[in-house]
Amino acid sequence: MRIDNHPILTFDRGEKVTIYYNGDPIPAYRGETIAAALHAAGIRVLGHSIELHRPRGFYCAIGNCSSCMMVVNGVPNVKTCITEVEDGMRVELQEGKGVIK
Amino acid sequence: MRKTADIVIIGGGISGCSTAYHLAKKGQKNIVVLEKRFICGGSTGACGAGVRMQWGTKMNCAFSKYSIEYYEHANETLGYEGDIEFKQSGYLLIADTDREIEQFKKNIVVQHEVGIPSRMVDLDEAKRIVPHLNTSVLKGAAYCEKDGFLNPFHTTDAFYRAAKRLGVEFEVPCTVTDIIVENGRVKAVVTDRGTVETDCVINCAGGFSKEISEMAGVDVPVYKERHQILVTEPVEPMQGPMVMSFGLNLYVQQSPHGSFIMGRSDSHEPRDGRVTSSWKFLEEMSKTIVNVLPPIAKLRIVRQWAGLYNMTPDRQPIYEKSDVVDGFYMAIGFSGHGFMFGPVTGAVMSEMVLGETPTIDASNLSLKRFERGEMVFEPSVV
Repeated sequence: MRIDNHPILTFDRGEKVTIYYNGDPIPAYRGETIAAALHAAGIRVLGHSIELHRPRGFYCAIGNCSSCMMVVNGVPNVKTCITEVEDGMRVELQEGKGVIK
Repeated sequence: MRKTADIVIIGGGISGCSTAYHLAKKGQKNIVVLEKRFICGGSTGACGAGVRMQWGTKMNCAFSKYSIEYYEHANETLGYEGDIEFKQSGYLLIADTDREIEQFKKNIVVQHEVGIPSRMVDLDEAKRIVPHLNTSVLKGAAYCEKDGFLNPFHTTDAFYRAAKRLGVEFEVPCTVTDIIVENGRVKAVVTDRGTVETDCVINCAGGFSKEISEMAGVDVPVYKERHQILVTEPVEPMQGPMVMSFGLNLYVQQSPHGSFIMGRSDSHEPRDGRVTSSWKFLEEMSKTIVNVLPPIAKLRIVRQWAGLYNMTPDRQPIYEKSDVVDGFYMAIGFSGHGFMFGPVTGAVMSEMVLGETPTIDASNLSLKRFERGEMVFEPSVV
């Protein structure tokens, strides 16, 4: 869900775009973060812990905790809570610590 | 704290813990180690954690070979329940000048005399060993697959625990404030927690070795120099060996955890004992490393830290039985390679203190070399 009516804040929602979560299309609005779009679509699991593979979700929301790191357009360890959506973005669950080339 | 001791060791880093262990192993009793912060809380705990046999002097080659062979079996030798995490994934020494290639070739001749399995590798092979290496800035490389890195905290802990089991006492934290010398002999060590009478003191104080020696009235040509390190976020394993360059001034390893740990030296670093971090290092290290290993540019830096190199004029340690003050010994001035020489230091110092016939020849490393001008210059240091 998204907050549409707020007693104090107004939301200037950007243009509607589509991102792809593990291949599935997810609606998003320009200006919001990847994690916000995923959350609004009901996706709560953004990754898994390294050692015990427990689910990890939206947590600090300010780019500090590393709980929301995902593979975005093939780049690992992207902090999805502070990265804004772009149309056609491919977002995938990351297994392990990420592979760079 | 005990009132008397047969041997007082000052410093609870790798040198102090290894020396204590080696002495106790030979049956020496009544040893106390005084550490002002915590075990491994000084230079050892801040080090780059690498151990290599690719040196330019025969002595350093022999010392490091001894240490590496020791570390290969240290978990068993020391009865350690943990793991010192020794990974022999090699050292790739890269060169960007023909002059350095020539130096590597000379070094390898010396290394082979001691039985070290090092070799020159061309740029194609260097690229196979480290696929993300930017060979366009390089001329060639030398490689030794038996070099590697290990965990300084666990390694020091292994010596500490083994020494403790053999009866060595550790006073932590405990700051030495004075050393009492009477008639040219060590009498006692004064600390913030009391005085220990002793006729034998071993200075293993790393960055603070000069201050400790001065307390005993012994002048040593050492100074402390800050050396900085930074560490990145972890990624999946992609780099086996430590990559090091003397010319480009860098070393970098990917730790078992997946993070990249890297450092370089700078002769303008402060010498006042501070272990703070600087912007200058952050910038220069980053520029240097992404030139040589470009994918590292994609990684975030997590933090920086610094430790003290205890530098000597020839960048070689001082293993000394003082002839100024009876009963005063020193294992100091490691100039950045004290961690990798840890096992040798323990063996050399225990033989020296107990008056045994040396099995490892460290006679070139006494203080007298500076008076005589017989310094042992090592060409291959970062």
